[in-house]
Amino acid sequence: MTTTQRPRVPIKPGYFTIPDDPQQPPKLLGTKCNDFSEHYFPRRAICARPECLSENTADVELGPRGTLYSYTFVHLPLFGSSNMEHAEGYGVGQVDLPEGPRVQLPLAGKQGEFKIGQTLEAELNTLREDGASDIVIVRFRPLEG
Amino acid sequence: MKDVAVLGVGMYRFGMYYDISNAEMARQAGMAALRDAGLSFRDVQAAYVGHIFAPVMAGVRVMKEFGLTGIPVQHVENASATGSAAFREACLQVANGTYDIVMVLGFDKMTTMIQQSTQGTSPENMEDAILPAAFFALWATRRMHERGMKVEHLAKISAKNWNNGALNPMSQRQSAEPTSVERVLKSRPVAWPLTTMMSCPMGDGAACAIVGRADLAKKLHPERPLVRVTASDLQSEKYSRGHLFMGPVVGPAQMTIDTSANVYNEAGVGPEDLDLVQVHDAFAIEELEYYELLGLCKRGEGEACVERGDFELGGRVAVSTDGGLIARGHPGGPTGLAQIWETTLQLRGEAGKRQVKDARIGLCHMMGGGSVCVIHILQKG
Ligand SMILES: [Zn+2]
Repeated sequence: MTTTQRPRVPIKPGYFTIPDDPQQPPKLLGTKCNDFSEHYFPRRAICARPECLSENTADVELGPRGTLYSYTFVHLPLFGSSNMEHAEGYGVGQVDLPEGPRVQLPLAGKQGEFKIGQTLEAELNTLREDGASDIVIVRFRPLEG
Repeated sequence: MKDVAVLGVGMYRFGMYYDISNAEMARQAGMAALRDAGLSFRDVQAAYVGHIFAPVMAGVRVMKEFGLTGIPVQHVENASATGSAAFREACLQVANGTYDIVMVLGFDKMTTMIQQSTQGTSPENMEDAILPAAFFALWATRRMHERGMKVEHLAKISAKNWNNGALNPMSQRQSAEPTSVERVLKSRPVAWPLTTMMSCPMGDGAACAIVGRADLAKKLHPERPLVRVTASDLQSEKYSRGHLFMGPVVGPAQMTIDTSANVYNEAGVGPEDLDLVQVHDAFAIEELEYYELLGLCKRGEGEACVERGDFELGGRVAVSTDGGLIARGHPGGPTGLAQIWETTLQLRGEAGKRQVKDARIGLCHMMGGGSVCVIHILQKG
């Protein structure tokens, strides 16, 4: 761990926050329907509920914690990654956020560390370097205990 | 759906063909379907063409292979369900009297896509970094947790499809020896618990169906059993809490339940009446889930049915009789039409070693990018 943090750039803007404090977990950028208080990830302009379809929606931050609904471990390198950590494969999970949405994102750790129902926390993970910056994705890591 | 029939079918065997063009494969599949129908391209009044990976206008360009007769040509694209969605458009047009004879043609070359995609190093969207197989694996892990499914159940379904494929001359995967559960389990892991032999291969290929008025089918081939298309439905996703917006791929289970309810209602048949079924078995977990979602068995009984062999050739209702996506292959555009090819041959009694005895009613189910479901029911007579 270096003391000076390299600038972190999201692989795609508009999906998650990059906290100024590297110790803080990122949050997911979502939407809340003000008419039905349904939450969505990723962001959208119109509520998707067939009985609502309201445009009265607002940007919200979701997470950073969630519950593991299902998981797998892929035995191939993560596409687009030059991080050695992803060379042997990577975990993927479906994570239920307390606000309602279920998201599918990479998991940190090995298959044996994943357990349905466990609590996880979002973290930023470097996919590759781009000059002086790190290109990062968001993933979830099982919390100890 | 009234008085719509499959007049003819043709295929170009799915496989990896680095030196054969889309136009070549499509022409051969199309001419085979025309010959099977007893028709000339001069008789075709309209065409629906489907491909996923070929460039813009590839369909109308490929259609020129058959001759330039001035007919309307329309492109249809719906990911894996492309061929099925094109078939549906043709059936609807015949049913509503717009045309009497329509060609439906699907083709694709994943080999070209593989060559091109290796040049790209960065995913376009955040979820594109994740291997699509992972999304199906998540379904499998959850089922293990909820219903006690074992990896052996997935291996048994896969072995069945490999063995069915070995009986189909148009199947991409042709194993000389019978495929055992053990062999499937030993194949290379892709995304736990899925292995390569539980997953469909990449491939190229083409398939064609000629759809037309039922009375024409009788006139063209009075000696042959009539194959009617009695129901067709296509649905996209309906929102419910927990819906996965990013990395759709698998799609909500409810979509298959709702779409199948509509086709059963339209055809006036139930799942208990089916003799054979084709599903979107890109991964073995899908086939297991679709047994239940299509109503072939009750919710939670899929594993017991697999253990009993209910869905094998000679079982209660044969599923993926041609090898399914896992063995017959899944190039994209033509896949749904390969299901129509198989079901048509089965209902005519022309399926050779994999013939389902007294087959009268068949169902074809496809998913497109987890975002659409297309189902057809075909009936003899
Ligand atoms: Zn709403």
